[in-house]
Amino acid sequence: MIVLKDIRKSYFVGDRELPILKGIDLTVTKGEFVVLMGVSGSGKTTLMNIIGLLDKQTEGEYIFADTNVDGLDDEKLADMRNNHIGFVFQQFFLLPYLDAIENVLIPIVYSRKDIKHPRDKAKVLLGRFGLEHRIHNKPSQLSGGEQQRVAIARALVNDPDLILADEPTGALDSKTGGEIMELFRMLNDEGKTIIVVTHDPKLASFGRRLVRIEDGAISEDIAT
Amino acid sequence: MALFQKISQLREFVEEVLKILYYYRGRVIFSFSGVALGILSICIIITTIDGANKKAQVIFEALGPDAIMIFGGGERQRAARIRVSTLRTGDADLLARVEGVYDVMKVFSARNVMMRYKDRNWQTQAIGSTTNYFESFSWGFQAGTVFTADDYDRAEAVCVIGAKVHEELFRGGPALGKTILVGKLPTRVIGVLEERGGSVGGPHVDDRVIMPLTTVTKRIVNERRYLSMVRLKTHRDLDKTIEDVRATLRASHGLKGNLDDDFTIRSSKDILAFVTVISGSLLLFLGTASIVALVVSGFVLANLFYLTIQERKKDIGIRRAYGATQKGILLSFLFESILITFIGGIAGIVLSIVLGGTFEKLFDIPMMFSFKVVIFALLFSFLTGLLSGLRPALRASRIEPIEAIRG
Repeated sequence: MIVLKDIRKSYFVGDRELPILKGIDLTVTKGEFVVLMGVSGSGKTTLMNIIGLLDKQTEGEYIFADTNVDGLDDEKLADMRNNHIGFVFQQFFLLPYLDAIENVLIPIVYSRKDIKHPRDKAKVLLGRFGLEHRIHNKPSQLSGGEQQRVAIARALVNDPDLILADEPTGALDSKTGGEIMELFRMLNDEGKTIIVVTHDPKLASFGRRLVRIEDGAISEDIAT
Repeated sequence: MALFQKISQLREFVEEVLKILYYYRGRVIFSFSGVALGILSICIIITTIDGANKKAQVIFEALGPDAIMIFGGGERQRAARIRVSTLRTGDADLLARVEGVYDVMKVFSARNVMMRYKDRNWQTQAIGSTTNYFESFSWGFQAGTVFTADDYDRAEAVCVIGAKVHEELFRGGPALGKTILVGKLPTRVIGVLEERGGSVGGPHVDDRVIMPLTTVTKRIVNERRYLSMVRLKTHRDLDKTIEDVRATLRASHGLKGNLDDDFTIRSSKDILAFVTVISGSLLLFLGTASIVALVVSGFVLANLFYLTIQERKKDIGIRRAYGATQKGILLSFLFESILITFIGGIAGIVLSIVLGGTFEKLFDIPMMFSFKVVIFALLFSFLTGLLSGLRPALRASRIEPIEAIRG
């Protein structure tokens, strides 16, 4: 479902070209659980942003869900993100003025899919993650782990094909972080494609495939 | 592109914006009150001007579109509130012969005359006039009737009292046939006028006692020569008649060359012109104030919004990541600012209704509240929201999702 062909990305600082990604070839098929590992500055976040259609490559070809996304306009890209991808971030990024269930429903506001009874669905998701009593709490009333579980419920509510998580355990203690990773494992068992981007070697064991990025290129790609 | 596929999405969107406004209520209240004040003054302007115009129309109709009034004393003396007796009884008879003139009414008013009934005193003006006074002013009676030509000829001690005098001397009770003292003259009350309300740059219109001219000039004050006012109507063109009236009086008073008139002519046209001037200055003064209020609150709103965007970058990033288009972000920010000014506008309208009613009672300023006012006010508040929200909203929509998420 993801085919990256010789993806390159450079930033320009004045006249100087600063290459971040130096030719990435990567294919991820449906149902995989990939851990994208790399130290800070390796280019892993840039790669994730390109995969998540939040950023564009300078060179190379990217085919996502059988569509060449090169040259799609803002509206089409927004649509693709909404339809196919659920994002999870290190800092959770819940909206402070909405309660848990309203945060989960954000993707629905922009959705073109016909999701039946989205509120019930959001409730079920929150219930599955042990948050049934937190439905009407604001993010400020939730612990870090609870906030991240709300964020994962938000990533799932619109039935995406791919969950893209950027350092999902970075702001959590290791026990809570482990629980979150178990949750991803469970979702993967149900058939969701999952890509977790991290610098933390401990997370490698939760995935089924490890892709290591070093200095803008893939240095290791193994099944775990 | 349809932004929302389903009504439920639109509702969700609106609910979210309301929650955002509540979350940032501290800032919202600033811009909100500014807009409310601006709209309030706009509403007050429009209602007051409409009210003044309507009042002018009423006065115009009451005076009669074909009426001309002549007062003693030139424009300058009148402006200085000096009363000069220059208008003679004979002048009125001369004017009656001017082409097209009919229904000539003579008036002599004696100011500050003490009226007494039992133990109650009330000082007001005793107006002496001809029998056509009431019909000329289309002034109806609550009770009783007008004095007759016989009363006039014999200078009978009879009077018609205004509603205000009725209230002061009789506490609104029966007055017909009762005898009051007008100065020192015992006078029978033969009529009570209907209440008219308001005033036209002078004492309250209902605060007057009207008697035959002869009674006032012979038995209350000794004034056989002069009148305070002559009022007449014309079949002819108003301006042409005024010209003739002026020529007649100048000849009668022996005014030659470029000597100033020693009398003043007023027609209902002057009253309309006066109201126009008043409305004009009101518009200028309050109009400036309200525009300033709106512009200032617009700027405050725009700046607060601009600051907020920095803080809400992550909010924007998240929405973009989850499928919001640039257009969607633009619209939601615009909607927010328009909602603030719109609610501010509605508050301004409500406030103006409340305050307008109070003004009307306190200062006797007529207010005409109309649908037009509401449309104007809402349009202005909408524009304020649109204009001040546009730049921040554009900026918000141009934030790239990764830029926002990275912080």
